[in-house]
Amino acid sequence: GKRRAPCLPLFQGFLSGTEQGRCYLCGFKLWVPVLQNNQGPPLVGLITIACHLVKEAKRSNLLGESAEGRAVVQQWLEYRVTRLDGCTKEDSKTILKELNIHLQDNVYLAGNHFTLADTLMYYGIHPLIVDLTVQEKEQYLNVARWFDHIQHIPSLRHHLPPVVVLRNRIYTSRHH
Amino acid sequence: MTKESAQSAAEEDQQAQSKKALKKQQKEAEKAAKKAEKQAKVAAEQQSTEEDDFAKDRYGVSALVQSQQKLDRKLVRVQDLTPEKADQLIWLRARVHTSRAKGKQCFLVLRQQQFNVQALVAVGDRASKQMVKFAANITKESIVDVEAAVRKVEQKIESCSQQDVELHVERIFVISQAEARLPLQLEDAVRPDGEGEEESRATVNQDTRLDNRVIDLRTTTSQAVFRLQSGVCQLFRDTLTKKGFVEIQTPKIISAASEGGANVFTVSYFKTSAYLAQSPQLYKQMCICADFDKVFCVGPVFRAEDSNTHRHLTEFVGLDIEMAFNYHYHEVIESITDTMVQIFKGLRDNFQTEIQTVNKQFPSEPFKFLEPTLRLEYTEGVAMLREAGVEMGDEDDLSTPNEKLLGRLVKEKYDTDFYVLDKYPLAVRPFYTMPDPHNPKYSNSYDMFMRGEEILSGAQRVHDAQLLTERAQHHQIDLEKIKSYIDSFRYGAPPHAGGGIGLERVCMLYLGLHNVRQTSMFPRDPKRLTP
Repeated sequence: GKRRAPCLPLFQGFLSGTEQGRCYLCGFKLWVPVLQNNQGPPLVGLITIACHLVKEAKRSNLLGESAEGRAVVQQWLEYRVTRLDGCTKEDSKTILKELNIHLQDNVYLAGNHFTLADTLMYYGIHPLIVDLTVQEKEQYLNVARWFDHIQHIPSLRHHLPPVVVLRNRIYTSRHH
Repeated sequence: MTKESAQSAAEEDQQAQSKKALKKQQKEAEKAAKKAEKQAKVAAEQQSTEEDDFAKDRYGVSALVQSQQKLDRKLVRVQDLTPEKADQLIWLRARVHTSRAKGKQCFLVLRQQQFNVQALVAVGDRASKQMVKFAANITKESIVDVEAAVRKVEQKIESCSQQDVELHVERIFVISQAEARLPLQLEDAVRPDGEGEEESRATVNQDTRLDNRVIDLRTTTSQAVFRLQSGVCQLFRDTLTKKGFVEIQTPKIISAASEGGANVFTVSYFKTSAYLAQSPQLYKQMCICADFDKVFCVGPVFRAEDSNTHRHLTEFVGLDIEMAFNYHYHEVIESITDTMVQIFKGLRDNFQTEIQTVNKQFPSEPFKFLEPTLRLEYTEGVAMLREAGVEMGDEDDLSTPNEKLLGRLVKEKYDTDFYVLDKYPLAVRPFYTMPDPHNPKYSNSYDMFMRGEEILSGAQRVHDAQLLTERAQHHQIDLEKIKSYIDSFRYGAPPHAGGGIGLERVCMLYLGLHNVRQTSMFPRDPKRLTP
């Protein structure tokens, strides 16, 4: 299968300000990140590692503000791993549609606060958004708005290419 | 058996037989009587029909019009049927658009080009039952001569162009009968696609229309489109003539491909072969060298491009301009853009009916333009595209999607559907394009766009034989093939520039249509040679 660009180093960089190379990818059929830990057995899996890093960096608020909030964040993390990663071209259209509907009434994925969900979904969806045409970005207007907001958060984007999101709609009338 | 009994038996038999025969005879007689009665009845009915048909001279199928007589009869146009003519008795010739019987009445819609009017044949002192029946059975599209009284109506007839009057028919004759089965229904042909889907009504697809173009062209939409197209030609000629241009005609059978080798049609020319002109380029320029100063021509252009797109035809009408200028090719750009603006204004001011008719079936935004025309430099256009996330090199040509995107960005920023992109990279232009004097990577060439699609490609031409030869060599063109072209510049040639537009494409884009075949009467493409 296709190997996704490793986002955990980017995430580590975001949390601490510098990239750290403690993560490596390993696996047989499925590329799964593994974090070598000094204090015990290695941690396996994107969600597990990400949550661990957040707690280590004492930024637990990134996991959610309430019980409900935390549950929603976990749901989005699962969405990233089970729906987004390795999705087909057709799936990606469905995902964009779903996200677009969800983001119509939400500033961030888990409501009104920036969380780990936004980070991992941003890294995961970046390759899709980069290839969208201007018209498609207008079609998935809310996703584009959210994406543009997240990619501007300091230290988050790193070397990932920025995606241009136009301020004004240009496909206002009937398509020509 | 005894003789007597035999005799009596025979007698009995005979009697029986005659009884049978009698019965048979009786039956036959009854049958005959019934038949005779029936025949008599029918005959009586027919007679009574004929007798009752007091209107039989006021309707029917006319004899073929072979110019038998000169009738001094004035025919009124449907578009002139207004309340002013109320209560007048008039004659008109039109097509039967629809006819519908309702009891003792028949409602007809009579159509003439874009206009139609309701007509009524009702049983009364002028029309008989048989006449109403006849009217209801006239096939659609038949041409009829009608004498009728014009009557004002209380309620507007929304479905007709003439909403304030209806005709009360006194005489109706079929001049040319249409076959009962039409290859397409005109009502379906003008139905907007969306409406067709919503109400599960039929629409007519493009191929069917084009295969039966004669009927398709009768629709109100087609009539409007081609009247507008006629207007474009007229405005083009009038505007340029006012500016002092001379109309020229250029040959279409030529000895060498003018634009490039690949997309040219070859024709057999006696013992050799020739080509169909891809543009009047070479001849326009030769006219400038022949001191005609400012010329234009309207004529067919042939491109053997195997493109099956919404905007390519193998034959189309080119409107071409070429002009000598004094010091700067922008003098020519201004002339061309002003001509286009005059065309847009002329259409806007004089063809609103046609534009609205087309929009009924094909809704679109009205065409917007600026005065003076917006002119952007190529580098500006590239910058706008890059700002929107497009990656392209400085000297790259614009792809069609990028042209369209740029059109959208320009519309959003400047609110215009028409603009000029000036100073294209030299590498992507034909060999006869004059290079930019200050930057060898660019050229004195320009494209013009309507609704984000290219309608004109033009440039200052190289008017020096030496430089032209160099440019041709750079493009690896066989100098032998263009010898006569280069020779035209050897005996004094003024600096000049020009450009050409496609009539069909301009009409399509002005009206906001989506396929150039809608604005070509009998379109030619790689898959279509008829009608």
